[in-house]
Amino acid sequence: MIALRDFLPYLGKRVLGAIGVLIGAMLLVFFISYILNPNPAHLWAGARASKSTIAAVIARYHLDQPWYVQLYYFLQSYVTGNLGVDPQTGKSIISEMAFYFPNTLELVLVSMVMIAVLGVASGYFAGMHFGTKIDHSIRIFYLATWSSPYYLGGFLAILVFSSYIPLFPSGGMYSLTLGNQPAHITGLYILDALIQLNGPAFLSGLQHVFMPAAVLALLDFGLVARIMRSSILNARWSTHVKAARAKGMEEGEVRRNHILRNALIDTNTIIAVTFGFLLSGTIVIEEIFAWPGIGYFTYQAIVSINYPVLVPCVLLFTLGVIVANFIADVFYSLLDPRIALGEGGGSEG
Amino acid sequence: MKPLRKRAVSRTILGVVLIVIILVASAGIYFGFMSGTGKSSTTSSSSTTSTGSSTTSSSSTTTTSSGQTKTSLQVDELTEPDYLDPAVTYETSGWEVVEQIYQGLLTYNGSSYTTYEGVLASGWTISPDGMNYTFELRPNVVFSNGDPFNAYVMWYSVYRTLVMNQAPSWILSQNLIAGNGMSFNVTDSMLNSINYFNPSSSNLTVMNRPDQSVVALNASAIQFNLGYGYNGVEPYSAFLATLVTPMAYAVDPAVVASHGGVVADTENDYMTTNALGTGFYELQSWVLGQSVSLVKNQNYWANSLPKSQLNNAIAPAILNDIIIYYKDSATSIADLRAGSVQMIGVPVTYYNVTAPISGVKTAILPIEFGSSEDVHYLYMDTQAFPLFNNIDVRKAIANAIDYQDIIRIVFSGHAQQWIGPVPPGFQYYNESTAGLSPYQYSPVQAAVYLAQAGFVAHLPNGTTLNPGGRQFPTVSFLYDSDNPTDEGAAEIILSNLGAIGIPITLAALPFRQYATTIDSPSSTNSSFAMGFGYYSEDYTASIDYVSYFTTANQIGTSAYVDSQVLNYTYQADAALNGSTIVAAFRSITQSMYQNYTDIWLYVPEFMAVTANGVTGIFPNPAGSGMGYFLYYNTISYTS
Repeated sequence: MIALRDFLPYLGKRVLGAIGVLIGAMLLVFFISYILNPNPAHLWAGARASKSTIAAVIARYHLDQPWYVQLYYFLQSYVTGNLGVDPQTGKSIISEMAFYFPNTLELVLVSMVMIAVLGVASGYFAGMHFGTKIDHSIRIFYLATWSSPYYLGGFLAILVFSSYIPLFPSGGMYSLTLGNQPAHITGLYILDALIQLNGPAFLSGLQHVFMPAAVLALLDFGLVARIMRSSILNARWSTHVKAARAKGMEEGEVRRNHILRNALIDTNTIIAVTFGFLLSGTIVIEEIFAWPGIGYFTYQAIVSINYPVLVPCVLLFTLGVIVANFIADVFYSLLDPRIALGEGGGSEG
Repeated sequence: MKPLRKRAVSRTILGVVLIVIILVASAGIYFGFMSGTGKSSTTSSSSTTSTGSSTTSSSSTTTTSSGQTKTSLQVDELTEPDYLDPAVTYETSGWEVVEQIYQGLLTYNGSSYTTYEGVLASGWTISPDGMNYTFELRPNVVFSNGDPFNAYVMWYSVYRTLVMNQAPSWILSQNLIAGNGMSFNVTDSMLNSINYFNPSSSNLTVMNRPDQSVVALNASAIQFNLGYGYNGVEPYSAFLATLVTPMAYAVDPAVVASHGGVVADTENDYMTTNALGTGFYELQSWVLGQSVSLVKNQNYWANSLPKSQLNNAIAPAILNDIIIYYKDSATSIADLRAGSVQMIGVPVTYYNVTAPISGVKTAILPIEFGSSEDVHYLYMDTQAFPLFNNIDVRKAIANAIDYQDIIRIVFSGHAQQWIGPVPPGFQYYNESTAGLSPYQYSPVQAAVYLAQAGFVAHLPNGTTLNPGGRQFPTVSFLYDSDNPTDEGAAEIILSNLGAIGIPITLAALPFRQYATTIDSPSSTNSSFAMGFGYYSEDYTASIDYVSYFTTANQIGTSAYVDSQVLNYTYQADAALNGSTIVAAFRSITQSMYQNYTDIWLYVPEFMAVTANGVTGIFPNPAGSGMGYFLYYNTISYTS
């Protein structure tokens, strides 16, 4: 069991490191945005905006001031916990992110389940059938999907499963023709439908999320499968497995307790890291499948050099990677008692 | 630090926990289906739609007992609305939605874009000097929430647009101001303090005051007095067209008041994403980044009117629901092919893809539809790059471009060359361009002009002209990276200009940055001295285009200012008869053509793509609906 007295100092160290990374990311995005366009007022106000509208944007965001003054006011909004107002929509950035982020989280969570199942299963079978046709087939498949771009996978899926064989809708999060939509509780549509026992909405959510999540999973499970396969090979040929077999342990038990379990240590890390990267990597999939997620929101901010929105989005992505790495480290130590948190073995993120 | 030990958990316990979770989830889903289905059926019983499907396919959700007539239409298009507030929205996709929910005094008559019919107005008169427009309003008009519409509400709505002063408000402020700009100014606090449904005598004193832009004569009559806007004390030939835009749509003062009221120079957060008007549809939902859903307004004021009093713009909606999804072109085509949507908005470059799809109509519309979407040209900013002041350089560029190659390769032939600034197909285009031919590709002539300008130039056969001259410096050429046709055309122009001795480097910006760059005032910054310009209508009138090209003085209009041409523009602005307008437009066209101010390039054609069973569309270049019609109310769909 993880002792609290050991865990808390470790957690504190990680939190401090995370704060440093977040501040660095924030400053980086701010300065890159500033260099790209020191006075984006016209861009934010929109093409053919009146002079008074542009002047109002300049005044609100202090865009006529030197960079350090702009930075001061910008940071002030973070210190007060209020991320400010989106200069293009006039809405609270927090409320906008609260709408978009759960949508992405839903997509990524479903995709992660698929990635974990596909990656672990295919890596396991490939490793256990090393050098056979099964191994070669699995490797060719995951290399082919892994090296495919999202837009190709997305459009192919839509063409086949929405157009020629219309099994799944080509986009959106749920059907608007349902009479009864679930109330917003968690922001995760499927979960909200489940909590409110709204069967049609639940099914609709599943049907809409399946294809984008499956495309994400198919194009990303390769890394997990590859790590799993090599971990299985390492474990299969390790001395403790040979020793277990020599002691007469049942083959099923050897595979479960000595091969699979050891192989999952590295794989678990990769799954967690993949989760962090998927949070920020769904932009293309969200565009293709009209999925109103944080990737879509971020893309809109990028093309407008809208740093008041871009910075919190980047911070969210950064936080996602940090948390995913942290969880991976904790699981790492849980899966392998020889590994101590903060003392090697685990990724320090 | 000591290694942290993992808690040993019995596999049996884990297994039991897992089974319990699965059982609970299964039970939840099962009971959810039962209760959810029941709720859904109850909800939908008020309409003729059936339930049971959760896909976006209308064919399975909207079939009536006959199995033929549909009550729902599903649509895919590229861009979602910018805003839903009529005073703020400035993009086609926003206008499309707003036009179904809100209404103005008048609109274009059917498919005509030069004649008008009443919407909230039953009729109107124009004073002989063109300075006063008086509208009689229809009785018994109400908003979808039951609030009444009257002349005081209209007074409020127009002034609200002017006081909020958002990007498109200039459409009205050309001729109107909030008050009279001198002794009487209408302010946000004034707008927020008046009772428009039952005005007091002091309220009426304000709204009846004759010396202001908008006068509520009584509850059923309203007058617009021109001459207070920045156009000066003159009539305006396209004033009615400006009143067709959302800027002059009726907004419910009570709804605005309950969500923050009017604030000068500021948009209203609530109104930008919510909508409530007098129109035939209501906003059911706007899922940002995904879709807009409209549902028939059951409380629509024209429901009770006899057919003889209806026109296409006020007739009650035929379809119960319109759902507009925002998807890229490839996905839209896939949806249309699958039958899950009935109308899609895709560029004409997809003509060869959609035309062969069975059960689908793909029609190329007359060129005015392309013109209202966008006209394209090449700008040369003389202020940023002084060499463009040399007319021989401009002539060289005009002769160096292979226009037909661009149209053939980039647009597969579905574009037309044009001569600006009046757009092709629009009123007075033929008269304005009479006797002129579009610029022609002539690389020999181009090289000669470049040599005349003092630069080294190359003929197609490899001969160098003026070898002792200067090398033409490299110019940065701006285009919109979100527009694939821009990229294709830019590459051809890169090759064309390079061949005669004008080296350019391509500079791409995403659309939003591109649009704000070309709309910026010209300066000595040569980062984007040359590039593609485009213009889309703000309202359907030739003068809208002419004014942009002759008065804007921006990067995207070649920083062009010519006092004589300006005078012609002002003449056309204020003219009350067609012959004066034609004479002014002709002079402007010839002057810009001979001066090579902008290099007029092409106008892409516009196509309509619908399922065969979709009928009742009134195509109109003024429309924002899929870019080619105004209202969904007349559309029906049978499969």
